[in-house]
Amino acid sequence: MNVLCDREKLREGLTIANLVVPPRSPKPILENICLVATDDALELVGTDLEVAIRYRIEDVKVTETGSTVIPARVAVDFIKDLTGETVELKTKGRTCHIGAGADTCELVTAEADEFPVVQRFDGERTFSIQAGTFSRLVNQTAFAAARDAGRYAMHGVLVEFGEGKLNLIATDGRRLAVSGAPIDIGDQQRPSAIVPTKGMNLFCRVLNDPLEQVRFQFDENQIGMSTANAEIFARLIDGEFPKYSAVIPTKTKHCMEADAEVLGRKLRLVANVTGAEARAVKLELKKNELEVSGQFAGRGEAHAHMEVAYKGDAAEIAFNPDYVVAGVKNCEKDVVQLEFEDKTSPGKFTLGEDYIYIVMPITVDA
Amino acid sequence: MNPAEIPILHVDMDAFYASVEVRDNPSLAGLPVCVGGPASGRGVVSAASYEARRFGIHSAMPTAVARRACPDMILLPPDFEKYTRVSAQVMDVFRSYTPLVEPLSLDEAFLDTTGCERLFGDSIEIGRAIKRDILRETGLVASVGVACSKFLAKLASELDKPDGFRVIRPDEIREVLDPLPISHLFGIGERTAKRFEALGIETISDLASMPRDKVVADFGASGAWVHDLAHGLDPRRVAPHRREKSHGMERTFAEDIADRDELRAFLLQFCEEVAFGLRDRGLRGRTITLKARSPDFKTVTRTRTLDYPTGIGARIYSVARELLEQVPPGPLRLVGVSVSNLEDVRAPLQRGLFGAGGDPGRTRSDWLATREKLERITPSLDKLRRRFGRGTVQPARLLGRAVKRAEPAPRMDPDPKP
Repeated sequence: MNVLCDREKLREGLTIANLVVPPRSPKPILENICLVATDDALELVGTDLEVAIRYRIEDVKVTETGSTVIPARVAVDFIKDLTGETVELKTKGRTCHIGAGADTCELVTAEADEFPVVQRFDGERTFSIQAGTFSRLVNQTAFAAARDAGRYAMHGVLVEFGEGKLNLIATDGRRLAVSGAPIDIGDQQRPSAIVPTKGMNLFCRVLNDPLEQVRFQFDENQIGMSTANAEIFARLIDGEFPKYSAVIPTKTKHCMEADAEVLGRKLRLVANVTGAEARAVKLELKKNELEVSGQFAGRGEAHAHMEVAYKGDAAEIAFNPDYVVAGVKNCEKDVVQLEFEDKTSPGKFTLGEDYIYIVMPITVDA
Repeated sequence: MNPAEIPILHVDMDAFYASVEVRDNPSLAGLPVCVGGPASGRGVVSAASYEARRFGIHSAMPTAVARRACPDMILLPPDFEKYTRVSAQVMDVFRSYTPLVEPLSLDEAFLDTTGCERLFGDSIEIGRAIKRDILRETGLVASVGVACSKFLAKLASELDKPDGFRVIRPDEIREVLDPLPISHLFGIGERTAKRFEALGIETISDLASMPRDKVVADFGASGAWVHDLAHGLDPRRVAPHRREKSHGMERTFAEDIADRDELRAFLLQFCEEVAFGLRDRGLRGRTITLKARSPDFKTVTRTRTLDYPTGIGARIYSVARELLEQVPPGPLRLVGVSVSNLEDVRAPLQRGLFGAGGDPGRTRSDWLATREKLERITPSLDKLRRRFGRGTVQPARLLGRAVKRAEPAPRMDPDPKP
C-alpha cells in the first residue's frame, strides 16, 4: 500500500473511525484501524463488533493499492500533531510508514487477516431520509436514553415506522422523548428496531451536509447507514422496548404554556440552590403565573416567578430540573406546553410539531 | 478551670456483654467469663470479663485461641436481644441528661453536656451522675472520660478502665498525650504506625513536634488529621442523628455451608431482618451488597444499585440471591447482606414511567403487582411484629427454621475527617 493523502481529511477520518475503536478490548486486534487503499480512495475501517464504520477519503493519490492494520490511538495522536500538508502512508514489510515532510514514524502493523470483516452496504431494502431531519430526530431523543447499567433495552433509540412517518423514541424509565418526521417508504412493512445510542450518535457525527439524502438498511440484527463518505453498521439491541405509548397521557386536567427559554432559565436558577443531592424543583401554577421553587435541607431555598398562560385551578408538580431542562432546550418553538393530570402523574411537554417529552414527577412520601 | 471548656463525655460500658451475663448469673462473678461463638464452630470472643483479660484474652480473638490461653474460661453464647434491651436502658440514662447523645455501638456513646449546667451541674458532675445512674438502673459499671473533644474524651475513658472516671483538662493535654504511642490516635492502624516508626516517630510527642507540612506531604489528608489529633485538636461535634451509612447483617457459620438452598434461606432471613431494621429507623436504601467468605478466608463482595430505594425484605432478597449466583460455587464460611446508599423514607422520590419497579424489559408484571401489595401491607405487618414479636409474621420459607438472631454487621466507622 502506498497513498498520499491530505492531512486534514485524514485527521478527520481517523478521529471519526476512532470513535468506534475500543480503548481496550479483550480482542486486541480491535484496538486497530484497518486502512484499505483502492484505486481512487482510502478507506478507514474500525469496529468494536457492535458498531462498525467504513470511512472513505477521496481525492487521494494511490500509487499502490493494498491494506494494512495499524494501532488506532497511536496513529490518531501522531497524525494530529503532524504539521505537513500531505501525509504519506506506505507499507514496508511488517511496518507502516507515516510521514509528512521530514517527520515520519514507522508503526508495527498487525495481521490484516485477523481484522474482522466489515460488510458493505448492499442497497437492498433501503429507505432514505434527509440528513438534517435524521440528525434532528436523534438530537431530540437520544439524550433521554438510559445510561446506567441494566435496563438493556433502554440503552438505545427505538426506530419505528408509522403511516408515512418515522418515529424515534428513547427513555430511561423516568422520562421519554418521542419525535417523528414524515418519510416515504412506500408500502413496505417494517418492524421497529432498537439502535444503540452509540451508533445513533455516530450516525449524526458523520452527517455534514443537512441536505444530503442518507440511506438506511435494516437487516435481521443490524442497521446500516450509507452517506457520501461513510458506511456505518450498528448491531441492534435485542430486547423488548417498554410499551411507551401507554404512558403518554391523553387526557390532562392542567395545561400551561410558557416561554421555553425563560422556563429553562428559571429552572436552572432554582436548581443552583437545590444542588445535586436533592434533584427536585416544584412548579406551582396559579392564574397566568408560575412559581418555580426548590429547597435543600440545611442550605436554603430559592423561588422564581414567571408569567405563563394558564387558566385552570391552582396546581403543583415537582420534577428533576435536569430532566426538564434537557428537553426544553430542544423546544422547536418559542413556547413550550406542559400538561399533567396531578402531581403523581407524568408531565407531558410538547416541544414541537411532532415532538413530545414525558417526564415523571418527583413525589414526597410515596 | 472552667468546666464549660470540657463539655464532651465518652461513656463506655466495661466488658459489656460479659458483665451483663455475670449480672444475670452472679455465680459467675470473679471468673474468667467470655461471650462468643464456640471454638468448635470457629467462633470468636465478642467480649471478655476483666478476669478473662488477665489471661490475654480480648474481643475478636478466636475462641479456640482463648481456650488455650485459659482452659477454665467460661464461654457463653451471645444474647443480642438482651444486650439491646440493656443498651436501651443505658441510652435512656444518657438522654435524661442531654439530648446530644451519639451512640457508637450498643455500649458506648459520646455526649455533649453544653447547656445542661443549670439543670444538672457541670460536665464532671454529670459524668459522675451518669455513672451512678447506670449502676443503679442496670447494675453495670461504666467508664467515663471527660474532655474538650471527642478524641480526648474517648482517650480519657480508655486510660482509666475499668470502673474509670478520668478528666483531661485543657492544661494537661500535652502531659497526657506526649508519652502515648501514636497508635492511640484514631485513624492510625498497624500499617500507618509502621510507616511512622520508619520515620522515627513512635510517640504522640514525636508526631506533634513534626512540621505539619511534612506530615501532609508524606501521609496526605489523613496525615493532617492525625497531626491535628496529636495536638489535641478534634473539631468533630457530637452528632445525635448521625446518618447511618449502611445497615447489614452477617454470620459466620458453625460449619461451612455449600448447599446454596441453605445459604439462600439464611440470606432471606438476613434480608428480612435488615429490611425491618431499615423501616424501624425510617430509612430505605438503594445499594445492596452481598458478602461471602470462603473457607480459605477469601472474602468477596458483590454489589448492585437499584433504580428505586427500598425497605422491603423481599426486594432486597431478590437482588441478594442474584448476587449470590455471582459468587463462585463452593462452601462458604460466612455470608452477609447490607444495604447502603440510605435515605429518609420521606425524601423526595423520582417516579418511574413503567410501574413502580421499572424493569419494563421483563415481563414479570404479576410479580411486580405482588410486590406493590407487599409494600402496602408491610406497615401493618410491622405493627404486628412490634407488638407480638419479630417472628410473628415471616415468609413461609423461613417457617420452622430456628430463629437465631445474627450479629449485626460491623458498622462503618464514622467518617474520621471533619
